[in-house]
Amino acid sequence: MKTKFFFQSVIVFAVAVSLLAAQPVMSAEPVVIGVPTSLGFLEGKESLKAVEMAVQEINAKGGVTVAGEKRQLVVVSSDIRDAAPGVPVPEALLGIEKIILEKKPTAIVVGPFRSEALTAAMDLLSKYKTPMIGTIAMSPASEKKVKEDPEKYKYVFRNCLNAVYLVKYLAGTMAAINKEFGFTKVYVMHQDVAWARATADLVKSTYFDKAGWEVLDQEAYPTGASDFSSGLMKARSKGAQVIMPIFDMPQSGVLVKQWKSMNVPALMAGFISPLAGSDAWKTFDAKIGGAVNCNFEMGSAIASDQMTKSVDFLKNYKKAYGKEIQAGHGPAPSYESVYILAEAIDRAGSIDPDALVAQLKKTDRIGVTGRVKFDDGQQAVYGFDPTETAVGVVFQWTEDGKRKIVFPDALAEAKIKLPKGLKSAK
Amino acid sequence: MFLGTMIYALINSAILALMAIGFNLTFGISGVANFAYGAVYILAAYASWLLLNLTGISFWLAAPIAILLSMAFGAGMYRFVLLRVRGQALSEVIATFGIGLAVLELFNYLGLVGFEYTLPVLIDESFMIADTMVDMQRILIVLMAGLLVAGLWAFTHYTRLGLAFRGIAQDERTALTLGMDSDRIAMLAVSFGCGLAAFAACIVIPLGSISPSEGYEVLIKALAVCIIGGLGSTGGVILASFLIGFAERLTDAYISSHWTMIVSLAAILIVLVIKPSGFFGRQKELEERI
Repeated sequence: MKTKFFFQSVIVFAVAVSLLAAQPVMSAEPVVIGVPTSLGFLEGKESLKAVEMAVQEINAKGGVTVAGEKRQLVVVSSDIRDAAPGVPVPEALLGIEKIILEKKPTAIVVGPFRSEALTAAMDLLSKYKTPMIGTIAMSPASEKKVKEDPEKYKYVFRNCLNAVYLVKYLAGTMAAINKEFGFTKVYVMHQDVAWARATADLVKSTYFDKAGWEVLDQEAYPTGASDFSSGLMKARSKGAQVIMPIFDMPQSGVLVKQWKSMNVPALMAGFISPLAGSDAWKTFDAKIGGAVNCNFEMGSAIASDQMTKSVDFLKNYKKAYGKEIQAGHGPAPSYESVYILAEAIDRAGSIDPDALVAQLKKTDRIGVTGRVKFDDGQQAVYGFDPTETAVGVVFQWTEDGKRKIVFPDALAEAKIKLPKGLKSAK
Repeated sequence: MFLGTMIYALINSAILALMAIGFNLTFGISGVANFAYGAVYILAAYASWLLLNLTGISFWLAAPIAILLSMAFGAGMYRFVLLRVRGQALSEVIATFGIGLAVLELFNYLGLVGFEYTLPVLIDESFMIADTMVDMQRILIVLMAGLLVAGLWAFTHYTRLGLAFRGIAQDERTALTLGMDSDRIAMLAVSFGCGLAAFAACIVIPLGSISPSEGYEVLIKALAVCIIGGLGSTGGVILASFLIGFAERLTDAYISSHWTMIVSLAAILIVLVIKPSGFFGRQKELEERI
């Protein structure tokens, strides 16, 4: 009886000791990463998943090192709904403030969709000293604010393509179209939001006007618009050779369907978010052949064999979630932003916001999107060579349902082909 | 260009009429302003999508099932929620809006968000009409809107149930004295309204994609059409659909698409100022005359 009691006591003691021994590891508070964004939209949903995937990968390797101690990362998210039509900016700001005050994140990634919400949120991020690496909102207005008051707005970084770089990609694509086919008449259709307006205006002033193109019209569509027939008829009647769309709303897929069903004899080349992913072929009943689309970042729904990290990222995402990424904007830089943040924490050995910001500024990382370095507006530099900068991708849907990268030249797999019924002007 | 604009304005009008007619039917008969209407539209679309993609049945079968499910949803909503607040307009609005909100946010929560959520077109062809390419789905929408309006007219004039609908709509108390069960009729009105929303979803959604935010858009459009036409008036709905439908496309074509969204809202404001009960509305006519 006594022996039995003794052995029972030894077992209880051993369990108690092992639990106590494990306590320091278990009690180390995790580093919280906040993801306040529009989770009801594809880009937000897939960006959050990409963030969670990066966090799992980093945690599997032990987490981040803070003051010599390994700590795990944890993700908290909230749906700020700023991308939904009619949701006012103050409501989005409330969502961001709530997650900062209640979850106390060390940093925020992804962030608002609408640039109007981002620029307004910058004061909040400054007030609560919360670093953010944005990966969706694109207006250069936020960089301007950073440059004007670098001390106040030092907490705001952006890792995705911005409107200025998108302009370079679109202008590069248009230059290639002009060179190949001699087209000079363009009809611009864009969403009536800050980043899209800025992009359309900048392509016009920096490329079309200087390169001798005739911009036949520039139509702005409110978010939520779902009938583009009038614009397409105008494009046809004015003799447009190229239609340049700039949209990130789900309804913009209707534009492609109408373009095809109305047989508008013009090349569709620009950015329509629903065209980005592999599923678009099925979604649009195999009727998007010939459309040229810009995916904002390498790895967001498309990969290049020349960049193995982008291929691995898409493969691992599919393995983790059973489905391929469909958003052409957001997931890849969101995934990268977690690594950028983790590396900055490791270098700083601290989660103090000022120390973290100082290390984020020193980022130089080659990842899924290419080489990431921040400029003086704390915007990741994008270019055409992945060994030097981060890169975006312009691809064309082929008539047999494949996506072929056509720009930048360093990554191009094919040249742009005109859809059936459209002839070269050369 | 002008003829093309007119063709697409006609299509737009038919879409608006389809979107609004169920809301109008429910209000006209039961007096219930079903603010869950947009959510039912999206519910039916997702139901069709799920049936198509999970069970593999054809769209021709999935769509009627989705319509029946939506009608059951409407009947259930009336039986278990609205019956308890019947006659209290504000409570009815709050209850239905709350249910709609819950349904739409549930889809967001479930992650049913993405470009792949769409429904197939019924006939995949395009035709040239007056030098304008129009796809068969849009032509079908116009035809079905016409048939639906004609069918509803026949239903309310030549069937026992339809006549009971009209009886309750005209004078609920008198109808009660004649043995008509006003609660049953009101439940059927909400159910039929939901069925019409589902019908609209099944033929309009193939032009675009399914998104929870679309539910709010549909509700706003249905409200705009019904307020302008006069709540409860089928003739008013048709007239208002044409008015807004043509105004939107003409604004697109000859002013700027930037202003299109404002057209229906501006029309509501103008009509409310000049004729608060809408073109053919009756509920405030006496006050207006006074």
